[in-house]
Formats: sequence, C-alpha cells, structure tokens
Amino acid sequence: MSTFSQFTSLTWTSLAEKPVLETGATVFAFLAATRISRLGGNHPLLNPTLLAIVLISLGLEATHIPYEACLRGADTIHFMLGPTVVLLAVPLFRQRAVIRASARLIAVGLAVGLPVGVLSAVGLAWVLGASSQTILSLAPKSVTAGIAVGISEQIGGLQTLTIVLVIMTGITGAVLGPIVARLARIDDPRVVGLTMGIASHGIGTARALQINEVAGAFSGLGMGLNGVLTAIVLPLIFGWFRF
Amino acid sequence: MLEQISRVMFWLCVGEIAARSGLLPLPAPVTGLILLYAELAVRGKPPDDLGVLADRLLQFLGMLFVPAGVGVIAYLDVLKAEALPILAAVIGGTAITLFVTMMVANWIGIAIARGQEQKPPRLEGAVRDVNL
Repeated sequence: MSTFSQFTSLTWTSLAEKPVLETGATVFAFLAATRISRLGGNHPLLNPTLLAIVLISLGLEATHIPYEACLRGADTIHFMLGPTVVLLAVPLFRQRAVIRASARLIAVGLAVGLPVGVLSAVGLAWVLGASSQTILSLAPKSVTAGIAVGISEQIGGLQTLTIVLVIMTGITGAVLGPIVARLARIDDPRVVGLTMGIASHGIGTARALQINEVAGAFSGLGMGLNGVLTAIVLPLIFGWFRF
Repeated sequence: MLEQISRVMFWLCVGEIAARSGLLPLPAPVTGLILLYAELAVRGKPPDDLGVLADRLLQFLGMLFVPAGVGVIAYLDVLKAEALPILAAVIGGTAITLFVTMMVANWIGIAIARGQEQKPPRLEGAVRDVNL
C-alpha cells in the first residue's frame, strides 16, 4: 500500500468516526438546493429540502456509502429540530394581535381544516388499501415537519416516511392553493392564507407570502396553530382506537 | 444569547420529562413551544435576543429534515408498492382540505363582516350611555 493511499484511508476512517463529513455534506447540499431553488424563482416544486434529499441520495448512490452511516452522522443536525420547534412560539406570539382580531375566522378554519385534512388522507389511503403503517405515517401529513415527526413517532408511524409525505403535501398545497382559490372564487387573503397554512404548513406559507403579507401572516398562523392542535388531538384519538 | 439558548433548552427539557414520564401524550418540542408561549404571554414581550435566535434558526428549519428525509431510501419499496393510496391521500386529500376549508372559512368571514357592519354604531352608543 502506498503512503498516499494509507494516508487517505486513515483520513477516511477518522472522518467516518466523527460526523464532520455527513454534517458538512448536509449543509452543503441544502445550500446548493437553496441556490437552485432561487434560480427557479422559488417555485414550490423546487423545494430546497426535497432537492437536498435527492442530491444526498444521489451522492450516496455514487459513493456506495450506506445511508445508515449518513443518518448516524447527521444526528447533530436532526438534534437541532427540537429547540427550533420550541422557537416557533416566537413568531406565533408576535401574531397574537392578529389571532385576537380574527379569532372566530381562525377557529372555524381550524375546526374544519384539521379534521378534514386528517380524515381525507387517512380515509383515501385506507379505502385504497394502504398498510396501517403507511396510514399512521400519513395522518400528520398537513402538519409542519418538526411537529409531524413527533406525532408520527407517538402514534406508531415511520418518521422518515412522514417527512417525505409532509414535504409532498406542502408542495401539493403550495401549487394547488391559489388554483383552488381561483376556482372557488375566493379572494379574501385571510381565508386563502389561513387555509394554505392549515393544509400545507411551511411550504404553503412560503407560497402564501408571495400572494401578499396578510395571506402570509394568516398562513403562518394556520400552520402553527394546526401543528399544536394536531399534536394534542391525534395521539389522543389514535390512543383510543389503537389500530 | 446564552440566556435565550438556556431558556429554550429548559422548556424543551420540561417537555421531554412530561413526554417520557407519560404525563402528556405530546411530542416534547410541542410542550416546549406551548410553555415558551405561556412564558412570553406572562412577560408581555419576547426578549430581543430570543427574537434574533428564533429568526436565525427558523430560517434553516428546512435543512433540519434532510438527514431523516434521506432515510426514506430504505422505504422506497413501500412508496412504490403503495404509490396509488399515497398519491391519492397526498394530492386528493390536500385538494379536498383546501376546497372545503376555504369555502367554509370564506362563508364565515362574510357572515362576520356582515354582522360587524350592522352592530357597532348602536352598541357603542349604548356603552357610552352606561358609562355616563
């Protein structure tokens, strides 16, 4: 073995022991994905999270690194999810004046959007013969991913599957939201924003912000409140039925 | 800034204890979120540093799902085998949710606006009379 290859293999083992490489790769992939998304005018189909997942998957395929190694290494990044979700309290608190001023509208939106969101997904999947694991992973699909993974774990779904389903839902809502609003002839930005936040969390909120500021604020509100309420309601319901 | 990081970690810890002990069937970060909101409501105003921390970290929220999202490679077979129910639930379910929620919320919004147009003048006069 030449000195050079000995050196590289040594470097490689030490890098594999510490999560530097995987963490760096994740950050770099997300940075690249953000640039690509910006080049495409931040179109919802060019979601940075999804792009980064695809980039890393292709990278793993090319280098034959098992994805388990990547997961273990990227624990550092995954860990940050908890504190960041706690911090969602800050933007929600900043919107408290809006919550108070439109309390009834928001309450009705949540009372309709939350159960319809869960039941339509669970119902359609069940009718079309999905496995119970897939159904449980689908149940929190409209909730912002940080909260959705917690719910999924609690009710017995698969966290990784839930993340991908949540992103797919977000993209769908961001694309369909304005189209449905036009078809239904609804032009109240509060209603459109709130609904997009409830149905398609952060990705829908990013799209609602492009409509206008009011739609964006209501969307962020819909996302936050729907996330917290679903986290309270779903584990209780699935705890009772246990299927 | 360290004070704010401790504040967030403290509420997350409380959430974790509540979840692990079976006290609350809530994901730990959600309990932490609710408790932090309650603290802010008592204080009346979030500390400046906390706002900065929240804005910075929430900007990268999307990145934090990448590692776990990559794990879906192991479930590509599940996704392929159940492609129809999954796509129907995601696309159909989201379309239904958007339509139904928008229709009902819009209807309520119009009803509330109509109610407000008629009520305020008389109500304000009545309140003023009582105060006098």
